[in-house]
Amino acid sequence: MEFDPKIITFACNWCSYAGADLAGTSRLKYPDNVKIIRVMCSGMVNPGWVLRAFRQGADGVVIAGCHPGDCHYTVGNYYAKKRYILLKELMKFVGFDGERFKLLWASASEGKLFAEEMTAFTQKIKEMGPQEKLRRKIE
Amino acid sequence: MNSEILEKIKEECRKLPDDISYIVGFVRKRGEPREVLKVLKPDEVDRMSFSPLSFNNPARIVMDLMKSDGKIAVIAKGCDARALKQLEKEEKIERERLYIIGVSCPGVIDYRKFRNAVKFRLPEIESVELVGDEVIVKANGEEQRIPFSEVIFENCLYCEQPTPKDYDVLIGEPREGKLDFSDIEEFEKLDREERWSYWMEVFSKCIRCHACRQVCPLCYCEECLVDPSNLAVSPMTPAEEKAAYPRVLGKTVNASDNMVYHLIRVLHHAGRCAGCGECERACPMELPLLKLERKLKKVVYEVFNYSPDEEIPFLSKLDILPEG
Repeated sequence: MEFDPKIITFACNWCSYAGADLAGTSRLKYPDNVKIIRVMCSGMVNPGWVLRAFRQGADGVVIAGCHPGDCHYTVGNYYAKKRYILLKELMKFVGFDGERFKLLWASASEGKLFAEEMTAFTQKIKEMGPQEKLRRKIE
Repeated sequence: MNSEILEKIKEECRKLPDDISYIVGFVRKRGEPREVLKVLKPDEVDRMSFSPLSFNNPARIVMDLMKSDGKIAVIAKGCDARALKQLEKEEKIERERLYIIGVSCPGVIDYRKFRNAVKFRLPEIESVELVGDEVIVKANGEEQRIPFSEVIFENCLYCEQPTPKDYDVLIGEPREGKLDFSDIEEFEKLDREERWSYWMEVFSKCIRCHACRQVCPLCYCEECLVDPSNLAVSPMTPAEEKAAYPRVLGKTVNASDNMVYHLIRVLHHAGRCAGCGECERACPMELPLLKLERKLKKVVYEVFNYSPDEEIPFLSKLDILPEG
């Protein structure tokens, strides 16, 4: 059976979620492995949520937000980027596959970009195989 | 010579301004050669003690004392002053109410290494002195010389500021620190699977006693995200109440959950950690927790080009993000 990854996307309400919506209304296809969780801003994504997603068996996690300077709350995405860099560096340091974690800037008009990026990311995760390092196991 | 340093500390404490109501200093622990922190009244100066075994960080006690009235004098080594500075930046302490007696610190002794190296029984030890590169332990009229490099607390080797930057009086000659991440770079050379198995082994030992959080001068949140919610869930509990329960962290004590706990804990210290090493000293399982803190420090220096000396706290500074 082909590996069917689970990818969690935290999409900000104002840009990326609308972008994903646009991808849908323009009938662009992207893999159904991507599960979108709508958040009010990419800046509210707690690094703990990302780790918890991995813990619960996600194979990849994406934080999608507005382009720098376009944030509805002025600076939320800058905080997101700062946390993203710190968490990713730490993940790599402890030997977790940092490539499974991604930050994406997608505006409300970039439905095409959103779909393309998600397809590429899903493809990459498929090549990497299932995430077993943090997944909760039955012991 | 730490007896000289102690004399100077006492001298400074005797001529403190009149409005000082507390002194946070080190007092020799009964039955052990090390010092513990104590809040003293200005007339109790004679009880004070100081040695390379005065390793604790007074920042947390100072922060608690800020709730009371009056000014506070504190004996601070380089790392203690960094922690105080950070708390001041975060408006947890008022600098005007603080009188810092800075001590230029050659490094402190790792108590665990010391206990193994010393040949006397601990209650018998009369004095521990640092002379040059040697630690001289005196007990029962005998003396033992231990090279300082054998018992030094590992993090002190990489100390970037052994002398406090911000002080009212300074005791001892200023020392030069250096920025050194050689241990972290060395570790990063290992390949991914080796690093993963190393950390999995480390975290499988963790018992999640949360001592590292409890002792850290910067972990002062009243409501911590790792605290288990002890609220019962009944069939009558509404959904929104259940949703408000902390759920970020699993409650099991296995290696991966422990790793998530430590990663989150360390992330909260990015650009803030003073590097005092209290977490590592408090850890009953002797985990190398400072490695994670130092890695983050390296990222903060190299990616964000931020130095903890800056007045604006790291987390609220936004113009330091790399391009792209």
